[in-house]
Amino acid sequence: MERVGDDVAFGLENLAWTRQAMRERVPEALAGVGLRGFEDRRSTRLSGGEQQRVAIAGVLAPGPGLLVLDEPTAHLDPAGAQAVFRILRAIRERAAATIVLVEHRARLAWPLASLVLALDDEGRPIDVGAPKDVLARSARKLEAAGIWLPDEGTTPPAQPPPVAAIDPLSTRVLGSEPVLTVSELRFGFIPGAPVLRSLDLTLEPGERVGVVGRNGSGKTTLLRLALGLLTPTAGTVRLAGRDPRQLHGVQLARLAGFVPQEPELGFLGESVRQEIELGLAPEQVSYAYALAERLRLPLGEFGDRSPYRLSGGEQRRLSLVTGLSRRPLLLALDEPTFGQDRRGHEALVQALAELVGEGSAMLAATHDERFVHDATDRRVELDDGWVLADEPVEAESAS
Amino acid sequence: MTVASLLVPDLDVTQRESVLGRTNPLVKLGISLAWLVGLGLTLDVRPPLILAVVAIVAGLQFGEIAPATMARRLGPLLLAAMTVALTNLLFSTHNADPAAQEVLRIGPLRITEEALVAAAGLAARVAAIVSVGTVFVLTTDATRLMDALVQQARVSPRFAYGLLAAYQAVPRLADDLAALRGARRLRGLRELHPSLLVGLLIRAIRHADQLSIAMDARGFGPGPRTTYRPIAWSRLDLVVGLSALALLIATLVVSR
Repeated sequence: MERVGDDVAFGLENLAWTRQAMRERVPEALAGVGLRGFEDRRSTRLSGGEQQRVAIAGVLAPGPGLLVLDEPTAHLDPAGAQAVFRILRAIRERAAATIVLVEHRARLAWPLASLVLALDDEGRPIDVGAPKDVLARSARKLEAAGIWLPDEGTTPPAQPPPVAAIDPLSTRVLGSEPVLTVSELRFGFIPGAPVLRSLDLTLEPGERVGVVGRNGSGKTTLLRLALGLLTPTAGTVRLAGRDPRQLHGVQLARLAGFVPQEPELGFLGESVRQEIELGLAPEQVSYAYALAERLRLPLGEFGDRSPYRLSGGEQRRLSLVTGLSRRPLLLALDEPTFGQDRRGHEALVQALAELVGEGSAMLAATHDERFVHDATDRRVELDDGWVLADEPVEAESAS
Repeated sequence: MTVASLLVPDLDVTQRESVLGRTNPLVKLGISLAWLVGLGLTLDVRPPLILAVVAIVAGLQFGEIAPATMARRLGPLLLAAMTVALTNLLFSTHNADPAAQEVLRIGPLRITEEALVAAAGLAARVAAIVSVGTVFVLTTDATRLMDALVQQARVSPRFAYGLLAAYQAVPRLADDLAALRGARRLRGLRELHPSLLVGLLIRAIRHADQLSIAMDARGFGPGPRTTYRPIAWSRLDLVVGLSALALLIATLVVSR
């Protein structure tokens, strides 16, 4: 079942398609999501985004009459996301299926819709109707509810520039020593299939680096290596001058905060409150609570809920709280903005700017160009394990 | 969410395309069972040892299992077999029997020939079982086993998919444990703690949930079903099956 073709065929088998029909349909469905010729690839060797496209191919293969998609592009690179939306547009043009799509990427989703339903925090409808009408009638209300609007593009929402001053109450002083030094880093899970080929990267205190690149280009692997969760095949990783794998757990937790791509993989507590408090020193708790409040997870409302019963966007914010609450020197974030509406995005950008102002450095793997634009000042593009580009993010022109 | 990502990983292509890898999983299952039943017919220590060696050599030669992999998987199991044998040797009731032939005495510890023979027989038998089992697992693609069970042994798909999911419970637990330990380390907590068990349990349940949702969403149910991967008997199955039976009979006859 591990081969991609088997997975796409699974739904067809269940509908009792003939083998001949399946043999024709499976490659077609894969080509439709930009994975032509992937039939015999192993799905465990695919990146998260590629797996997502395989899943979509599997759902599309039987040509369903109703398609329900819950943020299908959450982990996809821009090209992958556009490919998925191209497919959806084609389905819509052929009137082949009714599509129900839950999506934060308004710019891609709105042009596709014949009907838009906007919900508020409590799940009450704000407005429903043709996209044009909703925009004309309720743009202000949607904006107030923190919902992304289609015309927002990468224009940053109004926000103060990051404060570069040192927090006088912070015990940490902006040092001259790099937060993270990676040199000639090579890594592969299996011999002969390198994920990172020869990577050099230095993060100074106060730097905000966005790591971008196609699905499977090695972004997540780089983060895990920086945190000492993986052992390099060759080369060195130094976190504040030390090998992260040699650090004592308590020291590592003080130096680095991690927000994994899949929030559930990092959850340890049985309630949101426990999840936030786990391993925190008493003096860190009040900052953690305040951060939870800012990221719209007030303990009063969410404290007793199970982390596993939260929505995807809430889970993401909870793992952001746990990753940032120690105000670590290195903020390692993997897709920090998925599932977030505009308010979530703004609150996060603001919190990150403050931490970096205190002397932290941020290393964020992301597909979200808006986040790169709003929250980083250096953009590192990976491709197939190489650094393709390492450049400053253009400052916003007069706006 | 792909269904495949929630199920057991396949074999590497080297093992899958080897002679044993291409042999029908049901044939290998049949051979394993026949050998185990056959070994029950004798108390001799030689047949199980011979069959254990045959299984290992066949795994290396015809299954193209890397010797290091074989050693890593088989080592702990053989060690367990030796431990079982040693326990039986030391605590055998024969040792207390005054009529039994004494071979060794260390202080109060008396070891008799009868106990030695029984322990050696046991060790050989356990060694045969774990060797055959290890070679089976290392040369059998779980997906093919499932296909063969459904298409040739007429097992219900529901049961077969359940088996496929269960087959990988242990490796997945190992992955979950690594992820949990990493998460604990990054929060400055001790990596090993009793609460890891709760975390593993939660993840196992979440995983089963996700799998059933993914399968339901793709229309898996009791209705009629076709299959994408046809599986057929081949001449190879006949050759491997008959050779294995002949070997069993020869071993039993020789040791008589």
